[in-house]
Amino acid sequence: MSRPSPDHPTTTPSGRPRRSVPGSGLAKGLAVTLRTMTKKTVTEQYPDAQPALPPRSRGVIGLFEENCTVCMLCARECPDWCIYIDSHKETVPAATPGGRERSRNVLDRFAIDFSLCMYCGICIEVCPFDALFWSPEFEYAETDIRDLTHERDKLREWMWTVPAPPALDPGAEEPKEIAAARKAAEKLAAAQAEPPTEPTDPQEGAS
Amino acid sequence: MNGALDVGLRLLVVFVVFLTFPLIVGQTEHKVMAHMQGRLGPMYAGGFHGWAQLVADGVKFAQKEDVVPAGADRRVFQLAPAVALLPYLLVLLAIPIGPGEGAVGQVIDAGIFFVLAVMGVGVLGSLMAGWASANKFSLLGGLRTAAQLLAYELPMLLAAASVAMAAGTVSLPGIVDAFEWWWLPWQIVGAIVFFVAGLAELQRPPFDMPVADSEIIFGAYTEYTGLRFALFLLAEYAGIIVLCGLTTVLFLGGWHGPWGAEGLGWVWTLLKTAILAFVVIWLRVTYPRLREDQLQKFSWTLLVPLSLAQIAVTGIVKVVIS
Amino acid sequence: MSPAAALATTAAAAPHGFLSPTGVEIAFLLVGLVTFGAALVTVTTRQLVHAALWLVVTLGGLAVEYLLLTAEFIAWMQVLIYVGSVVVLLLFGLMLTKAPIGRSPDADSANRWAALGVAVAAAAALVWVVVDAFRTTWIDLGGAPSGSTKVTGASLFQNWVLPFEALSVLLLAALVGAIVLSRKAKADAAAATTGTPAVPGSRSEKEGVR
Repeated sequence: MSRPSPDHPTTTPSGRPRRSVPGSGLAKGLAVTLRTMTKKTVTEQYPDAQPALPPRSRGVIGLFEENCTVCMLCARECPDWCIYIDSHKETVPAATPGGRERSRNVLDRFAIDFSLCMYCGICIEVCPFDALFWSPEFEYAETDIRDLTHERDKLREWMWTVPAPPALDPGAEEPKEIAAARKAAEKLAAAQAEPPTEPTDPQEGAS
Repeated sequence: MNGALDVGLRLLVVFVVFLTFPLIVGQTEHKVMAHMQGRLGPMYAGGFHGWAQLVADGVKFAQKEDVVPAGADRRVFQLAPAVALLPYLLVLLAIPIGPGEGAVGQVIDAGIFFVLAVMGVGVLGSLMAGWASANKFSLLGGLRTAAQLLAYELPMLLAAASVAMAAGTVSLPGIVDAFEWWWLPWQIVGAIVFFVAGLAELQRPPFDMPVADSEIIFGAYTEYTGLRFALFLLAEYAGIIVLCGLTTVLFLGGWHGPWGAEGLGWVWTLLKTAILAFVVIWLRVTYPRLREDQLQKFSWTLLVPLSLAQIAVTGIVKVVIS
Repeated sequence: MSPAAALATTAAAAPHGFLSPTGVEIAFLLVGLVTFGAALVTVTTRQLVHAALWLVVTLGGLAVEYLLLTAEFIAWMQVLIYVGSVVVLLLFGLMLTKAPIGRSPDADSANRWAALGVAVAAAAALVWVVVDAFRTTWIDLGGAPSGSTKVTGASLFQNWVLPFEALSVLLLAALVGAIVLSRKAKADAAAATTGTPAVPGSRSEKEGVR
């Protein structure tokens, strides 16, 4: 019935067969189930209590359409071709008299078909203007598969459920923007406070 | 007239017990099994921790269509659930829960033989279902049921015979009357053999090859739907009650307890039965299903010799003390 | 009913007429008729499994008759051994065959008349023996139960201990024979195909223990 398993050798290192009490394995099994019964359960009572999702959950894709320039990168990179974008060009009158007229892309339609989407996140990765975000929102089941194609207003609504980016790891490098700004500020402060008595000071500020 | 009223009242009480206790065991199984697996179990039906889950299940079963397969043997197919269920009702009549005439449905002279005989009849229901369904899985389930019954009825009988020898009577109240606390170590092997063999006869895990869902769907009950299916399930849980009650009465001293008032013996009986029912559930959660050949080997090479040894020990001790 | 129970019975109560219509006697007759009918169906039905199930009814009816004669122990033994085990074994065997649902076309034996003759002869012999043995013995249903476990056991192990032991030896011989047969078959099988694991608890072994 019981087969020797690699991590429970039936012989001791000295070579003699191990004398275990018959039925001790059975008792151990009973102990495990009894112990589990006294512990707290892991069931999440989902419709009654919302699950605590990790901040980077891939629930749904939100669109921050002010950032979108209709560059079409997301639609082209999408492996499933589930992003639909329509747009038209508008000309903007010249800002300064005598200047050139500029043309601008205006977004008419931005829709994602979530019945096709495989939640790979490539569109979010490739967006150069930070217009697409993951949202942990997941309760958007529909009774008809056609209703799973969500338009820009719905994607915009989901944008409000996108959590703030997680705090950086304590040992992590500073974000580049903040590091540059701080370096500039410290240089300025050092220049104002003390002329060149301590040569090592700027290096410390840079490190 | 008074006699008829008394009989009617007893029958009514036994019937109510028969209908409610299996549900309580079933609900306990839902919850205990869930918590042993780190789950919560049913939480909705009835509001408070899903207490009415089995009632809801019953309503669901009653609404379902009663399907009889076209190729089935119609009458045998329809009769099988009743044959499976009724014996347990009869056995329940004979189990005493307290001292005196008032605490047993019907005093039967050869109580042990009555309960074991009638419990064996219950298995006929599974066999009928297995054969009449015209389904290969059902047939295999029926075959396994029969093989299991043949293997496990012998040790069960021998263990019961041992305790009957110890008590010098085959009547259930008589056995409990004769019980002394030191019977517990004396008959412990017999008690374990009886309980394990009873589990196998009820087809409870880890002895549930006849209904092994990964191999033969649901064995003999594969083709059943609706109320008839529910009756088979009810028979299984009524069987748990009967087995635990019998083990209590035969081996654990029934209404005898270390302390307690004179009139509260039935509390002890119910308490011991409930603990045993918990053990039944516990075993189900803990152990995986035995293979068919392991099952047969377990009975013939372990349980039968153990029960024979128990009879020998009982005989020796009995001769020494008398 | 067992002769043991009958011996313990007083040949009491002269005022009994033949079949005085008390409730118990009417019940006895009715159950007897049902049992007889079930037995007839058992041997005449063309559906094999139905025959086995009718056999359950027949044996159950016999158990009820024992009960009505206050032979409680014998009645439960009848249910335990015959209904609970022998019929289960029978059904087990039938399930291993190709017993169809519905009529078996080849269930019509050619020598049914010979079988009828044997059956009638056997029944006549048994009835004659029983009638001759008991004649007008009446069981007093009102008094102490004459077929209780205690009475049956006492007479079995005092008056009838020799036949009892002879039967035990017979069963033991059957048991040993079954084991020998199954072991021989197993050894042959092992010799034929080495490495094939033999199934423990094979059928013949079970029958032997029964």
